[in-house]
Amino acid sequence: MSEGIGARVKRKEDKRFITGKGKYTDDIRMENQAYAAFVRSPHAHARVNGIDASDAEGMEGVIAVLTGAELKADGIGNLICGWAISSKDGSPMNMGPWSALATDRVRYVGDAVAVVIAESPTLARRAAEKVAVDYEELPAVAHADKALAKGAPQVHDNAPGNLIYDWGIGEEAATDAALAASAHVTEMHITNNRLSPNPMEPRSAVATFDESEDHYTLYTTSQNPHVARLVLSAFYNVAPEHKLRVIAPDVGGGFGSKIYIYPEEITCLWASMKTKRSVKWTADRSEAFMTDAHGRDHITTAKMGFDKDGRITGFKVDTIANFGAYMSLFSSAVPTYLYATLLSGQYNIANIYANVRAVYTNTVPVDAYRGAGRPEACYLIERMMETAARELGLDAAELRRRNFITQFPHQTPVIMAYDVGDFGGNLDKAQKAANVAGFPARKAEAARRGKLRGLGYSCYIEACGIAPSAAVGSLGAGVGLWESAEVRVNPVGTIEILTGSHSHGQGHETTFAQIVADRFGVPINNVSIVHGDTDKVQMGMGTYGSRSGAVGMSAIVKAMDKVEAKIRKIAAHQLEASEDDIVIEGGEVKVAGTDKKMAWHEVGLAAYTAHNLPAGMEPGLKEGAFYDPVNFTFPAGCYIAEVEVDPDTGVTKIVQFTAADDFGTIINPNIVEGQVHGGVAQGIGQAMLESVVYTDDGQLLTGSYMDYAMPRADDVPFYTIEHNTTVCPNNPLGIKGCGEAGAIGAPPAVINAITDAIGSNDLSMPATPARVWAAISAARPRVAAE
Amino acid sequence: MAETLATTTFHLNGTPVTADTAPTDTLLDWLRVARGLTGTKEGCNEGDCGACTVMVTGPDGVPRALNACILFVPQLQGRAVRTVEGLAAPDGTPHPVQAALVTHHGSQCGFCTPGIAVALACAHATGATDHADRIAGNLCRCTGYAPILRAARAAETAPVPAHLAADRAQDFDVPQVSSGGGGAAPHPGGRQPPASAAYALHPTDLDTFADWYAANPDATLIAGATDVGLWVTKQMRDLPKVAYLAGLTALRGIEVTDTHIRIGAMATLNDLRPVMEVHHPAFAELIRRYGSDQVRNAATVGGNIANGSPIGDSPPPLIALGATLHLRRGAARRTLALEDFFLAYGKQDRRPGEFVEAVTVPRQPDRLRVWKVSKRFDQDISAICGAFRITVDAGRVTDARIAFGGMAATPRRARAVEAALMGQAWTEATIRAAMGAFSDDYQPISDMRASSTYRLEVARNLLLRRWLADQGRETSVLLVTA
Repeated sequence: MSEGIGARVKRKEDKRFITGKGKYTDDIRMENQAYAAFVRSPHAHARVNGIDASDAEGMEGVIAVLTGAELKADGIGNLICGWAISSKDGSPMNMGPWSALATDRVRYVGDAVAVVIAESPTLARRAAEKVAVDYEELPAVAHADKALAKGAPQVHDNAPGNLIYDWGIGEEAATDAALAASAHVTEMHITNNRLSPNPMEPRSAVATFDESEDHYTLYTTSQNPHVARLVLSAFYNVAPEHKLRVIAPDVGGGFGSKIYIYPEEITCLWASMKTKRSVKWTADRSEAFMTDAHGRDHITTAKMGFDKDGRITGFKVDTIANFGAYMSLFSSAVPTYLYATLLSGQYNIANIYANVRAVYTNTVPVDAYRGAGRPEACYLIERMMETAARELGLDAAELRRRNFITQFPHQTPVIMAYDVGDFGGNLDKAQKAANVAGFPARKAEAARRGKLRGLGYSCYIEACGIAPSAAVGSLGAGVGLWESAEVRVNPVGTIEILTGSHSHGQGHETTFAQIVADRFGVPINNVSIVHGDTDKVQMGMGTYGSRSGAVGMSAIVKAMDKVEAKIRKIAAHQLEASEDDIVIEGGEVKVAGTDKKMAWHEVGLAAYTAHNLPAGMEPGLKEGAFYDPVNFTFPAGCYIAEVEVDPDTGVTKIVQFTAADDFGTIINPNIVEGQVHGGVAQGIGQAMLESVVYTDDGQLLTGSYMDYAMPRADDVPFYTIEHNTTVCPNNPLGIKGCGEAGAIGAPPAVINAITDAIGSNDLSMPATPARVWAAISAARPRVAAE
Repeated sequence: MAETLATTTFHLNGTPVTADTAPTDTLLDWLRVARGLTGTKEGCNEGDCGACTVMVTGPDGVPRALNACILFVPQLQGRAVRTVEGLAAPDGTPHPVQAALVTHHGSQCGFCTPGIAVALACAHATGATDHADRIAGNLCRCTGYAPILRAARAAETAPVPAHLAADRAQDFDVPQVSSGGGGAAPHPGGRQPPASAAYALHPTDLDTFADWYAANPDATLIAGATDVGLWVTKQMRDLPKVAYLAGLTALRGIEVTDTHIRIGAMATLNDLRPVMEVHHPAFAELIRRYGSDQVRNAATVGGNIANGSPIGDSPPPLIALGATLHLRRGAARRTLALEDFFLAYGKQDRRPGEFVEAVTVPRQPDRLRVWKVSKRFDQDISAICGAFRITVDAGRVTDARIAFGGMAATPRRARAVEAALMGQAWTEATIRAAMGAFSDDYQPISDMRASSTYRLEVARNLLLRRWLADQGRETSVLLVTA
């Protein structure tokens, strides 16, 4: 069986995962291990007037209690946001100071003010309870719209009115004019609910300071260990890069929440130096809910204009994005360049204008979560389209077809230039697989059972790869978004791939090996993927934004190109042939049209013995490459959800879910389908179950799995998955990316289906039974007796 | 400082072990820290995510899935425990569910995988095929579950590996009392024993226990620990004096006589479920949604009642069935109607040193219907749980017992609604009239789970549904979602 591109190869990493032999950060225990517990604010907003740690310090087994004042005194820098966004008037964003341990003021429930280092985790926690903090409570604000209201509590002194930036994109006057001239305007108020990413592995850090070398080692739950090292060094002054090794071993899911460098990693590193002990911290689930960066949380008003033929004339969007109490690492980019630039969706829209205001509130910081900005854009557009179709009396699919972009490349009015796609083809495939033609009969049958059945579409597009460096640099990014790879062919012919990408569930150890097997004809078991360790792997940018395929694997291809070029030279020299006649296939290096050949391992051996290499050639067979893409990639697709609603209770069941995706080239269909499954489940979670709830004064109500409803096995359907491939023209493998599509495309499909079922467009996520029931009740005269 | 240790002897992955722990050290901490068996994961430490699922085989030889994070080590006395590290055969051959998880791509990040593999192996060992239900207590954020369910299905027909057959109940002596012993320090990183004089009792004789508890009413009774476990892991509470009731087999049985079903306080929800499948299927369906398989394997009926939560799911159907609660203090016993046990929020009619011995339900024709409404189908706290036992004779209501959870500070009967139904014709007009009486019975609160208005309206609609069910529109608890 082929192990190359397109093969359904079983994952190499599974052997250790199914046997419990995976090595995650919390599984690591160092010699002389000590444990950290954080003293966290129970208040959403308060002044810190003093910290009395004497009781805790007196407890047996407590090694130290450290505070923000000491951290500051040691020169540890504030946490930063790495993407500069300017307001419409040109003023820079208002970034408030964020110390790893708060000194004078706490700004959300969970904000840490001190850390206890003790001999056991339980001791550390008990001691943390004994640290007396003198808080002076201040008024707090938790919700974005309220934060902008006159007289709202001020979260940061340097952000008047809690406004971080007031940013715009597109042509406002032209869009207004287009709307004014429209035959029909659809207007909606849309809330995108706040979510907690909830990777199953809680965040964890094990920091060890080696005094003799002035060197730090950090094991941590990171999606991008090199970026973590860079930021910890360059901005937080923990240690210079060459004195800091960051290792992200097996990581149990990230979904964006493990991109960022959090106060806990910084504090553990610093505390390790202070106490001369290895310091370990692992979040419990309550801390995860309280401190992991949340996602989404947009409030939007939008208007979409149509001409008399149902063609979109203009789209105007006004969004308020809740950033929480501090600006997390990539927060500023999410509601701007990852959101507003996708507001054209799959449609030909000549006039778009979006205004985005980012605001501080007394809640945990908000940053990228699976999809990051694109789910918010897709949800907005696709709900607008469905609602507009209902208002215009047009079939929802037909309205989309009339507006699909069909010519590529296509320049949208909001920066993005779509390279390729087949939006009508995606819709066709999805409609066929979902048997849309049979829906009226299914609806009638459900009605006989007293159930309301509905069908909803979502035609999503996303920009992936998070690339190219020059482009993101011009938009304010503080880093380049290329990727690196090194291909090492060992003397015996086995291969190691060192990649800057990081796998935390995506199966890189398998797919990355597959592209090597495809290229060189070696079995995947002879290929190892090395990642996640700054001491082993060259600088890399990590995994997020569905970029490991389109960018990470492209870097590997580029390095393999160089390896192949050298192999050709070696083989041509040894086989006395022309380089151009050398072919590599089936684990052999041959001269085309002859029986002259070398076994794969003989080339490696030749390179390393260096007994007979072309004149001037360096020994060895190892090449590195950095790949910087020329454009984003644009995965797109069509999702169709079908639901049944119980009108008496509002309980809703997804009875069918169909996905037709265009991801470009697929390396391993099993893994790609797994990504779709997981993404759709998260999208369904957002649509029907999940919501972070803060009270008006900033208390977190959803602090456990009993209160934050994660999807379980019975909550999600079996999905029908179709692929409709157009190959990405801009990278060597033709890959677009697949990691976020499900989370982006699913929510509007589900809500469009429910609103279709209940005959009301007024429904927000999550569509819990109570909300669906309320929407039904509001839309209909009550029948029940009072 | 004298440290109280509990000594527990059990089998771990086929090998006998003795664990000296503090009385409330959890199995999860002990496995990960003392034994270095890090395959069992901590995902939530409160029994909600299943990442720490282990297989525990008791005296009946049935392997059950339990959450190690809220399982105290002394509860394992005499049991056989198998972790993910012990699933594969000694020669390394993976368990059929492990192999199927690979084939069907049932693992992505791998963190929930050990718990899922163990949960699936427990189901596999008993021939269960209700896979979505069996992993309802296992959260996976990566796979979307379908690949896991496919794997479970694919493994159904494979034989149970021979090495697992060794986990039949181990014949260990269960110590009557283990307290104050040993000088060994608790394991590093584990929960420290409390400084005060601690005491742990592991009784096997009911009378002895009853006398001891009457004399030690400040002790914490540990049955399934699905709630008490959280006191320790989440609230960091000291439990200086505890009694593990797992050895009280006299409290565990469920006895069906001509007149009554007697449910021992230590009967687990999964013990009760098959009995109710025979006598009151709607109750059995409710139990399926009560909590995960792991929780139902641990949680006891007595604990669910004695805990007194307003949203516990067993009181509404038990009250509707006319259950009687049997309490005991020392040698003294008393009974009361179950609804009278719940006095106010967090307050029950249980005297110091008194414990729940059993609950009895009179044998009766099955007229029970129960509906649970929650944000999510499985493993969720009820917004509303409504139970109805309405008897109709010759077109008139001759008996009505209706009880709700989630509508008041305690589980409570809807007496005004019952009165509005009694003696009336079993017609829609009667129902519509009685629906209005709900607001006399209940003034529910608005909280994150549901608004007051929603709760009242759903309660009314559930009554309507009860009537519709008799008109041929039968809706089971399960079908609430479809």
